[in-house]
Amino acid sequence: MFSLRLALKSIFNEKWMSLLSMFSIGVMLFILIAVAIVVYNVEKLTARLPERLTVMAILKEGATAEEVKAAQAAIKAEPAVKSVTFVSKEKALEELKKSFKKDDFILKGFGENPLFDSFDVKIKSEGADGVRQLIQRIKSIRAVDDVEYGESLMDSLYALKSGLRALGISIGIVFLCSVTFICYATVKILFYRHREEIEVYKLLGATRWFVRAPFFLEGTIIGILGGVVGSGILMAFYQYFLRRLIADMPMFAFMSIPVQFLYMLPVCGMLLGLGGSVLALGRLKY
Amino acid sequence: MIELENVSKAYDGQEALSNISLRVERGEMAFITGPSGAGKSTLFKLLYLAEKPDNGTITIAGHNAARLNSTSIPLLRRNIGVVFQDFKLLNNKTVYDNIALTLRIRGYVEKDVKERVHSVLKMVSLRHKADNYPLTLSGGEQQRVTIARSIIGEPTVMLADEPTGNLDEENEKEIMKIFKQINTKGTTVLIATHNRALFENTARRVFFLDGGKLKGEEQ
Repeated sequence: MFSLRLALKSIFNEKWMSLLSMFSIGVMLFILIAVAIVVYNVEKLTARLPERLTVMAILKEGATAEEVKAAQAAIKAEPAVKSVTFVSKEKALEELKKSFKKDDFILKGFGENPLFDSFDVKIKSEGADGVRQLIQRIKSIRAVDDVEYGESLMDSLYALKSGLRALGISIGIVFLCSVTFICYATVKILFYRHREEIEVYKLLGATRWFVRAPFFLEGTIIGILGGVVGSGILMAFYQYFLRRLIADMPMFAFMSIPVQFLYMLPVCGMLLGLGGSVLALGRLKY
Repeated sequence: MIELENVSKAYDGQEALSNISLRVERGEMAFITGPSGAGKSTLFKLLYLAEKPDNGTITIAGHNAARLNSTSIPLLRRNIGVVFQDFKLLNNKTVYDNIALTLRIRGYVEKDVKERVHSVLKMVSLRHKADNYPLTLSGGEQQRVTIARSIIGEPTVMLADEPTGNLDEENEKEIMKIFKQINTKGTTVLIATHNRALFENTARRVFFLDGGKLKGEEQ
């Protein structure tokens, strides 16, 4: 209790330095969590990407009814396949006409239906490799001529995802080290400023733990408060930026901030603050 | 009890104490005297374990100082009350907090701290100055705060380094009265001073130190 009182008093007495440290930690933790949010949302978006992909298995012209039936059963038997719907070339033309609306005169140039019978295949969530393997298996079915799906979109999104993940980890490490260093430097400065006081404590019989405890607490408190500042910035970012962005540009509607991130920042600040203090006092002789 | 056997200490090859042997009995009050630079403060630093001797053994409050490990030193220091020549008061803390520190370090609860600090402040006649900061006090008052801080933990041994230096005669008497009171309660007291008036006409033992050597002892 006495150590906590000493720590709070010291933070208050050195308020400008403490505030500077807290805000630096807050901003760094916010940047860290902002990167985490981007990574999280891209992960979330790509996790359900295969479900949104329309896989079209085009059937060979002249495939018999038995072959088509066998192909449908074979595709349906795939564990990653959610549903298989047969789309006749007549229905496909109809759909195409609908999508062209008033411009359907374009299709009048064709004497006969240029489309093929096909299967509309819906798949469950699978990784990019899983999807590719599935497509290969569908392609190998006798009645299937070719398979079309958003390959290039999927590839670029998956490349973006792994790039962002690597960037996120690198930024994360740099910022975690920076926050620890701020706590380390703050505690070390505070320790040197209290050197005379510590000398008296020692002469009066204070143990190592008694001398160290207030500094551990100071680092921890500065870390927690830095985390709270970071959470505040995050809330402001959500309220004044992200919400407006989503309202104005619905294409970003998939973006969300998990509420746990708000609690995570002070906890993260606490751990880094304590870690910084332990490092700062670890090798000091007194 | 304080016992030194063939204790020596040198700084950068310069001998500060040379082959000192002395013994102060339990409950005794004794003096160490000598001119400036005689080695009185060095001797005290060895006694309150701020430094280690190069040679010899020191036994204080029943412990051999050489055999103590770093975790035991704080616990032994709690048995030694020290009155420093430069007071070593914390100027950003009130008189009350300076004295209470000794007990807070030992983990006393605030209720007990309050009770004991007020009782000690009464003993050194500074109850009315409890909320003052050290720099607003006179030299004599600051010395009494230091004494209060060192006795509040009820040490078995008390060391006072030049406790009356720069004090007027009245304050000197006041301080010595407090030391006698503490000694009457059974605490071993060792006072380092170059002020002969403190031990003249007393029946106390006096150790004479000069140039780092013990020149004699008289009663």
